[in-house]
Amino acid sequence: MNLERRSFLMGSATTAAGGLLVACAPEQKEQSPAVTDVVPFHGDNQAGVYRPADQQASACFASFTVIADNRAELKTLFQRLTTKARILTGGHRHDQALPTEELNGVDGAPPVNSGVLGEDVPAANISLSFGVAGSLFDREEFGLKARKPKGLTEMKVFPKDQIDAAWVGGDLMIQICADSQDAVHYALRDIMKATRGQLQLAWKINGFHNKPRPDGAPRNLFGYKDGIVNPASTESLVWINGNSGQPGWTEGGTFLVVRLIRMLVEFWDRVGLGEQDGMIGRHRASGAPLGKDKETDEPDYANDPEGNEIPLDAHIRLANPRTKETSGSRMLRRGYNYDLGVDLNGNMQAGLIFASYQQNIQEQFEATQTRLADEPMTDYIEPFGGGYFLMLPGVKDENDHLASGLFA
Amino acid sequence: MPQKPAATMADAIAAYHSYVSGQLDELRNHLGTLRAAVANADTPGAQGAWLQAQQCWQRVGAAYGSFGELGDAIAPGSRGLQGGSADPEFKGLRRIEYGLWHGQGAPQLLPAIDQLAKDLQALAAKLPGLSTDPADMPLRLHEILEDSQRDHLSGNGDQGSGMAIALTRADVEATQEVLDLLRTLLQGLKAGFPALLDQQLAALLKVIDQTRTGGTWTPYRSLSLLQRQRINGALGRVLESLALVPALFSTD
Ligand code: HEM
Repeated sequence: MNLERRSFLMGSATTAAGGLLVACAPEQKEQSPAVTDVVPFHGDNQAGVYRPADQQASACFASFTVIADNRAELKTLFQRLTTKARILTGGHRHDQALPTEELNGVDGAPPVNSGVLGEDVPAANISLSFGVAGSLFDREEFGLKARKPKGLTEMKVFPKDQIDAAWVGGDLMIQICADSQDAVHYALRDIMKATRGQLQLAWKINGFHNKPRPDGAPRNLFGYKDGIVNPASTESLVWINGNSGQPGWTEGGTFLVVRLIRMLVEFWDRVGLGEQDGMIGRHRASGAPLGKDKETDEPDYANDPEGNEIPLDAHIRLANPRTKETSGSRMLRRGYNYDLGVDLNGNMQAGLIFASYQQNIQEQFEATQTRLADEPMTDYIEPFGGGYFLMLPGVKDENDHLASGLFA
Repeated sequence: MPQKPAATMADAIAAYHSYVSGQLDELRNHLGTLRAAVANADTPGAQGAWLQAQQCWQRVGAAYGSFGELGDAIAPGSRGLQGGSADPEFKGLRRIEYGLWHGQGAPQLLPAIDQLAKDLQALAAKLPGLSTDPADMPLRLHEILEDSQRDHLSGNGDQGSGMAIALTRADVEATQEVLDLLRTLLQGLKAGFPALLDQQLAALLKVIDQTRTGGTWTPYRSLSLLQRQRINGALGRVLESLALVPALFSTD
């Protein structure tokens, strides 16, 4: 990769943008070491799953059809996406060097930067996470059949799902998160400009993550604190490892389940608080399990076998019965709210971009969803789209690229 | 036949004008066929002749309102008209398309066809005297296909025929024609660039032609999403390249 003159990165360049830019950036020392708005791109695992610890405020889940013609072009695509991600996740000033593939080399040509974030692009905690769907492995021209991860099926349609063909499908997922919606938009547009001949959007949806009100976990659009309970990264429930029974190249990756779930907010708002609390299993005001005080208190199902405190069919009780047998079906949830506008009749089309990360889709997401099949909350929600993806292992360093193991 | 490739921009413009006048002659022939078919109440025949005529006009490569008002009269859209497609002010090839796909016959269409024939004649007569800005040709090379995306593939320009792909194909041919005229000049500015454009335009033609079944064009909305994505992908890729052309020729 060749570099233009002037090279300098804002932010923690070593992790965010790769040594290749740092190598010619002597001014780097002048930067304050404490840069808080960079989510490092390099690592054993991708960002956007456990990193950053606090979810960014804005997101886009963009599912693309891969239209590259062959395996070589597919590999080049992943390399190009890697370069893009390095630049986008570090922020860059207008007078910084860019790799040659970023430049068109023509004076007076349309600017490389769309200008949406100004001439200097801030890091804005942009994280880019890349995933592949099973359909990519089924395509003859890529010759990847033998590399297909186990359990990476099409998204299962559950009994109450109302799937809309416009909101499913795609071979490649790009999950973009950032501090602001303009940064998310910038990143997506920038990536698409560079990959027009290889990627075309199948569907995309923007999401927002609320602020804590007044504290603790942020609330979802039903007004309930959401994201209170999640497994820690050390629990070995999320990252694929040597014991996951998966092809070796996927180690360090994770399976993403995206479910686009409309929430019938008008209907929900016409339900009494007691009934709402009973459906969720938590107090709306505090987020505490029913009968408890604080959101961090743990429900005690063993001492409530009849469901007098927390109904047996409450969402949290079915989702995680907290038994030995169900412990392995837990997963990391890191969703976003969406608001799409108006339905056919003038009601709000709003809800949850449910996003869960797990080692095994069938044993974790599907097992949980199966337990939730008849929960009372189903009357108030309508899953209409989404997909299953393998989120690729992390890009280790500046010599590595996305999906390198897939082509090794 | 014009000389290709041209050695100077002035030659390129002259050659382009002679190419256009050839296309306008052909267009007049199609219009004659169209008129006869409409007069005979032969709707399929008229629809076929309309497509030939409209493709011919696309091959002229009259992007971004070139040829001024004379050009605008040939195939304006129905945008901005109070009555939309049914507005009495709506005229030209697209007006005829609207009628042919909305059950109109000779009484409504013959006046529109005759008016178009007059406008065409006026354009052909003025063409030799038209002066063309040297910056026009590079812009044209870029923007003919921007129009395909904006007007055809968006569905905005369609008046019922669904022929967006057929028209886009003609736009690609127009772009290839202009590229051929500018080839020597462009090669001098950026060696290898014309060949890259050739390859990307050919890739676009390939995915376009893959949508044809048994020699007929599928209405655009009936194509699968994947077919549309392949076309949009190939078009997007060549547009990103073509966008560099005006800057390459710029003397600023
Ligand atoms: C629009 C749909 C949904 C809404 C409104 C919703 C709402 C909630 C709320 C308010 C909580 C309690 C706060 C927390 O522990 O984070 C919760 C917990 C949970 N939800 Fe959902 N949820 C939805 C869909 C789902 C789906 C599709 C699944 C998985 C299939 C799921 C799995 C869970 C799990 C595993 C917990 C944690 C339970 C625990 O460990 O105690 N949720 N959800």
